[in-house]
Amino acid sequence: MDRENLEKSVITLEPKAHSRGKADRAAVEVPAENLQNLMRQLSQNDRFSFDMLLDHTAIDRIGEGKFELVYNLYSTEHAHYLMVSCLIDRGKPIVPTVSSIWPIAHWQEREVFDLFGVLYDGHTDLRRIFLDDDWKGYPLRKDYSDPDMLEFEK
Amino acid sequence: MGLITDKLPGYVEHVPGGSILITSIDAIINHSRANSLWPLAFGTKCCAIEMLMATGAPHQDTSRFGAEVARQTPRQADLMVIAGAIVKKMALRMRLLYEQMAEPRYVMATGSCAISGGPFMYNSYTIVRGADEIVPVDVYVPGCPPRPEAFFWGLLTLQKMIKQGESIRHPNIRKKPVLAMLPQGIKIEDIHQQIRDLLEQENTVDVLKAASQKTWSAKVEEWIEKTSKNP
Repeated sequence: MDRENLEKSVITLEPKAHSRGKADRAAVEVPAENLQNLMRQLSQNDRFSFDMLLDHTAIDRIGEGKFELVYNLYSTEHAHYLMVSCLIDRGKPIVPTVSSIWPIAHWQEREVFDLFGVLYDGHTDLRRIFLDDDWKGYPLRKDYSDPDMLEFEK
Repeated sequence: MGLITDKLPGYVEHVPGGSILITSIDAIINHSRANSLWPLAFGTKCCAIEMLMATGAPHQDTSRFGAEVARQTPRQADLMVIAGAIVKKMALRMRLLYEQMAEPRYVMATGSCAISGGPFMYNSYTIVRGADEIVPVDVYVPGCPPRPEAFFWGLLTLQKMIKQGESIRHPNIRKKPVLAMLPQGIKIEDIHQQIRDLLEQENTVDVLKAASQKTWSAKVEEWIEKTSKNP
């Protein structure tokens, strides 16, 4: 399916989703409580059959006080891409896990936990993956600072 | 080997002709050490491709210098070539590898990441700013990544340091050949002369002119003119 049809079909599937815009592929945004349902349908429904979670990252929108979680999906059967994003509260970042749908999400969610501090409900082994186990803080947050990080004198 | 370098100088120097013997033994030992350096291939990032892989290949060849026997285990290596950036997680393991190398051991930091943290010096939360925070480095090879020819310059400098700067008379002291690395056509006396000239120039004051060369002297004159017009 091409970009517009894909976005429209996803919105018919899940009415609370809306087109995200500002992306070079089909992109939708859903509220957090409809996320897991939408993901399961996207992977199981034959029209979409998104069997591959290419990447899962987060964007720290500190101005709005939210994290935007981004899931990049790909379907090997239909060869179409979709980006699903979800805004969650920065002070209490908890989302349900999608690792039961795509097993790779197990480690990708560990990465987002390691660098942003997002907690995943239902994840079996949520611990740091890149940094040392006793590292304090979440480095990719915009308000992270470290005595080792030297700043330019402007 | 340890017996020769630790005990021999003490016994032999007192014997007449002993110091000549030590100098000759020095020459042999240093020559063999310098011309058969076995690198420990410690490549963590992109520099590994130029410093370890390209130099091992036939086009630019480390075997010309006797250094083609690259070992992966520190127990059998004597030159640690740090090719790549060191992160905090790796720093502990690198220190462990350094301590497992047998003496005499040499360290060459290649590439800007290993020298100072490189492009990641400012805003990185994990990079160690320079491998010399972890191990003592003998030769720094600048570049990002340095060309293999630059690596050979570093290797030759290291060989010069071993041949001229080490001796079994002072087994744990190394004299780095800083003077040997001056650019072409410049001698140490030129540098001394230039420093002397600069010091003299800066510290000679012409008292008559000094007062009028200050920035405020012009403003003072303006002020005097202004106030003398409107008293």
